Amino acid sequence: MIHLLQIDISKAVNEVENAGSYLPIAIQLLLVVGLIGLMLLASHKLGPKRNTSDKLEGFACGIESHGDARKPMAIKYFLVAVLFVLFDVEVIFFYPYALSFKQLGWDGFWAVMMFVGFFLCGFIYIIKKGALQWED
Amino acid sequence: MNALIVTAVLGVMMMFSSIVLKRNSAIRMLAIVGLLFTFIANVLDSSGVHFFSINIKGMMHFDQFAYFFISISIFCTFIFFLLSAKEMERIGVNYSEYFALIFFILCGIILVASFTSLLILFLGIEIISIPLYILTGSDKKNLKSNEASLKYFLLGAFSTGIMLMGIALFYGSTGSFSVENSVVIAATTSPMLLIGILLLLFSMSFKVSAAPFHFWAPDVYDGAPTVFTSFMATIVKAAAFIAFIRLFSLAFTPLQDRWQLIVAVIIALTLFVGNITAVFQQSVKRMLAYSSIAQSGFMLMALLAFNTFSVEGILLYIVAYSISTMGIFSVLVKMKDSSLEEFNGFAKHQPVLAVALTVFLLSLAGIPLTAGFLSKFYMLKAVMHSGNFLWLIIFAVLMAAVSVYYYFRIIQVMFFKESDSNTIIVSTSFKWLLSALAIIIIVLGVYPQLLLQFLV
Amino acid sequence: MNEVPLTHILVLSTALFFIGMFGLFTRRNMITILMSVELILNSVNINFVAFNKYLFPEKLDGVFFVLFIIAIAAAEAALAIAIIINLYRNHQSIDVDDATEMKF
Repeated sequence: MIHLLQIDISKAVNEVENAGSYLPIAIQLLLVVGLIGLMLLASHKLGPKRNTSDKLEGFACGIESHGDARKPMAIKYFLVAVLFVLFDVEVIFFYPYALSFKQLGWDGFWAVMMFVGFFLCGFIYIIKKGALQWED
Repeated sequence: MNALIVTAVLGVMMMFSSIVLKRNSAIRMLAIVGLLFTFIANVLDSSGVHFFSINIKGMMHFDQFAYFFISISIFCTFIFFLLSAKEMERIGVNYSEYFALIFFILCGIILVASFTSLLILFLGIEIISIPLYILTGSDKKNLKSNEASLKYFLLGAFSTGIMLMGIALFYGSTGSFSVENSVVIAATTSPMLLIGILLLLFSMSFKVSAAPFHFWAPDVYDGAPTVFTSFMATIVKAAAFIAFIRLFSLAFTPLQDRWQLIVAVIIALTLFVGNITAVFQQSVKRMLAYSSIAQSGFMLMALLAFNTFSVEGILLYIVAYSISTMGIFSVLVKMKDSSLEEFNGFAKHQPVLAVALTVFLLSLAGIPLTAGFLSKFYMLKAVMHSGNFLWLIIFAVLMAAVSVYYYFRIIQVMFFKESDSNTIIVSTSFKWLLSALAIIIIVLGVYPQLLLQFLV
Repeated sequence: MNEVPLTHILVLSTALFFIGMFGLFTRRNMITILMSVELILNSVNINFVAFNKYLFPEKLDGVFFVLFIIAIAAAEAALAIAIIINLYRNHQSIDVDDATEMKF
């Protein structure tokens, strides 16, 4: 087996097309999978099993955990998240403008201003609708 | 271009109108006046008066057909507002937002009616779809409405993904997004282009709810609030058809013999599934959903032959189908539920409405002297002129005969069943409007040139 | 180092596309379905950028299409989350199998 792993590499590079040159890799893969499987199996079979309630509990930096992580949250968080996704991604249109800022000149500037204007319309709309109002 | 910018600005205005205007009737008036203004702007645009001069870099092209279709869809939306804008009040508190969304949808319709670049097609389809998902789920407390909007979103996003993959393959084989014959001819031999066209064909069939991609349609049309179903099943569907036909007639004619047979099979399947399933429906709303699938089979025939008959036929079909379906839905909105029993003895309580409804149903079934008959005839004649697909014509006529059964069932129930004394209340103006629409259907059925003369 | 050939990138994007489609059809959790949709859109993005870079580098058409797809995908994701929240409030579940109000 040692002999197989120390096979001449320069020869192998020349024979990339040859499927036989991948043999060392295949052997290594087999070894890795076999070894890991063996270790997992051994620890599972040989190790002692003492399941106490403290041990089964989720470990969070030593702080005692309480409650379920999947409890319902206020709808406002979702609303803000959704609005963030929208307004965040729209900025993508500034990127090509930033790259060709000089060449586009004033025409490009006014076009982008129009885009920002429509953008602001949406922003004013969500504020007027009270979507960002945190306190009731 | 006028109408596009006017609708976008009007949409934003309607968004803010709920802050300024407190009364629903004022909001409604603003929407109707705005729509009239849009119509005038579009007519002026088609006769050469442009409000704006914007360099669109060849991504859109407004020809006479596009202008005419935009006018038709604005006109149909106007009728829709007159018929059922009041009913929107019952759905939820966000009255002005519904109008804003409808204006944004119109914006998307104008985009898909005039695109020459696949980018504009994609944006237009999305601008139509995203407000529609919201309108479908606008009845927030109703489980059916929620579920319909979920289904619509999932399948809509799926078909958008397919469409984008098609556009990507088109771009990969041609190096351009421009919808022109010359672009396609340069890359005819590329198998990647063929797969791209196939994916575009499937995704557009999704959007127009042609079988076997129709599964979302009955559930969505059934679950959505009836007011918005009537908008969705008529004007929006017509726009999807125009996009479909525009895409394939502008770009893919050089490869016609490769995809036409697939389209023919899709049409046959659509006609079969739509008509046969509609026969077994108990709810009128669901029956109309299946009938809209069946009607889209006829409209798809414009894809098999690009000649004057198909161009005139599709426009006549859109007008006839939209007006009839909106008329039936506007009565259905006022009823308690949409079961067939609601129509029992309808002719005794509301004789005027019953006669108007009969005209609409006859037109949908394609009985002579109505616009529905003439439009079906134009479509069949267009296919006949192309010389192929004789089997499809025979099959379509057979299926049209099946459709007579389920349309006549409503007429029979209205006139010959005993009433359960539940009657609906309608205003006199509503009656006048519905009668006027019925007269339009009959006049167009006798003298279609009244409409088609504008298409020079 | 050799350049990565175009076919490798196309294989990657096709694989992503079908993984997304598989997820869309087999998953029951709505959030996972939404992620599958995003996966499909992103696979298309990879396709566009690869075509642009390898085949048509003289213009930036494909890259700009990607910008539009990203923006639209964000809008769709926001809307989907709104729909899912609304459904959760009514159904107390985000499993698509629980949404069976309508039957054929």
